[in-house]
Amino acid sequence: MSVARIDELERIELPDGFVWRPIRRRFDIRGFGVNAYSALGPGSPIVEKHTESQLRHEEIYLVLRGRALFTVDGNDHELTAGQLVFVRDPSLERSAVAVDEDTVVLALGGKPGSPHEVSAWEAMFAAVPAANREDWDEAIRIHDEALAERPDHPALLYNLACMEARGGRHVDALLHLQRAVALESKWAEYARRDSDFAGIRGEPGFP
Amino acid sequence: MSGESAGDGYEILSIDDLERLPTTQGSQLLLPLRRTVGFRPFGVNVWVGAQPGDHVIERHREQDGHEELYVVLRGTAQFTLGDDTFEAAPGTLVHAPPGTLREATALTAETTVLALGAKSGEAFTPSAWEDFYVAYAYARRGEPERGRAAMQAALDREPTAWQGSYNAACFEALVGETDAALEHLRRAVERDRAAVLQYAPEDTDLDSIREDPRFSEILETR
Repeated sequence: MSVARIDELERIELPDGFVWRPIRRRFDIRGFGVNAYSALGPGSPIVEKHTESQLRHEEIYLVLRGRALFTVDGNDHELTAGQLVFVRDPSLERSAVAVDEDTVVLALGGKPGSPHEVSAWEAMFAAVPAANREDWDEAIRIHDEALAERPDHPALLYNLACMEARGGRHVDALLHLQRAVALESKWAEYARRDSDFAGIRGEPGFP
Repeated sequence: MSGESAGDGYEILSIDDLERLPTTQGSQLLLPLRRTVGFRPFGVNVWVGAQPGDHVIERHREQDGHEELYVVLRGTAQFTLGDDTFEAAPGTLVHAPPGTLREATALTAETTVLALGAKSGEAFTPSAWEDFYVAYAYARRGEPERGRAAMQAALDREPTAWQGSYNAACFEALVGETDAALEHLRRAVERDRAAVLQYAPEDTDLDSIREDPRFSEILETR
C-alpha cells in the first residue's frame, strides 16, 4: 500500500524513551532516508541525542505537529509545526524533547555524494518490540533480513549474536560474535560486559 | 531568507520563510527548500497550491527513475496515484515508485506538500529542472539577473546537455535578450537537433525570437 497517515505508522518505543515511527521501512524506500519520531509525552525525548560522525549524514528535522525543544551544538531552539532545523555538520550533537502532547517530528537524512544505503540501525530498532517480548525468532529474522543486504556489518552481526544467545542458539551466536569481532575488534570489549552473552561466556572461542 | 542563522554547522528556518516562486501552472508555487539550505543528499522541496483547484504536484511519472514521497503539511489535496484517486489531509504520506503516474490538486487554499525524491542506487545530483523552475520564476518576477544565475548553475553542472541550452534559450527569449537566446538555441541544436525540433516550433517561450531570420536558419542547420 502506497499511502499511510502518520498515525497509522508503527510505534516502536526505544530503550532511550523516544518513539520511532518508521516511514522508509513502511514503504521500502530505497532512494533516501526518512522517518518520523514521537514521544511518550511532553518532556520526553523525541530525537535521540547523537551525532552523524560515523554515517556522515546531513539531516533535516521538520516539526509536523506540536512543538519540540531541539538542542543542537549546545544551543536550545524551540520549534513549532512548520519549522525545521537543517544540520549540515555531521559532528554536531543534536537531540530534541517534545514540548506538546502529540508532537511529531519528520527526520530526513543521507550522505552527500553517495547512493543511499539503508542504515543498519533501522533493523536494530525494528527488532526491539520482538526482543522485548522475547520473540527471538522474529528478532533474528529482522537481523537476517538486514544482513542479507549488508553481510559484513559488524554492529548488525553483534546484535544478531545477542538475539541468538538469548534465544538459545549458542553456536550461531558464537560464530556471529566472532565474525563481528574479526571485522571490528571493539566488539570483543562490549561482549565481555554484555549480559546478553551470559549463557555463552564460558564457551571456548568466546572473544 | 529570514531564517535564524545558527552558525556554519546548522540552520533553523520555517516553511513560511521560504521564497514562494510562481510556476506556469495557475497559482502553484515552488518553495525551494533544498537549494535554500543547500541540502545535498536527495531532493526535498515544498509545493503549494495557493487556490483550490491549483496543481500542488503536476501530473508526471518520474521516468528518470526517481522514487518520491509526498507529505501533506497543510490543507487538503486530491491525489492521483496510478489508478487511485483519494483525498489527503495533513499527516498523509504518499509513496510513488518510479514510473507511477502521480498528481495532486489543492482542495483548500494554501495546500502545502513536502516532496522528497531520489533515484535508488545512485548518488544524488540536483535535478536541472529545479534551476529551470527557479530561473523562469525570477524572469516572470522581473528579476532576470537572479534568473540567469540559476540558469547558469544548471549549464555549469551539465554543460553538454541539450536541455540546458534549450532552457537558457527560452529564458533569454522571455526576458527579451534575442542575441543570447539565439546563441543558446544554436548550441542546443548542435547537441540534439531532433530533440530541439520536437519542442521549438510550438514553444511559446520562444515567440519573441521566432520572427528573427536567424531562428529558422538555426533550426534548419544540419
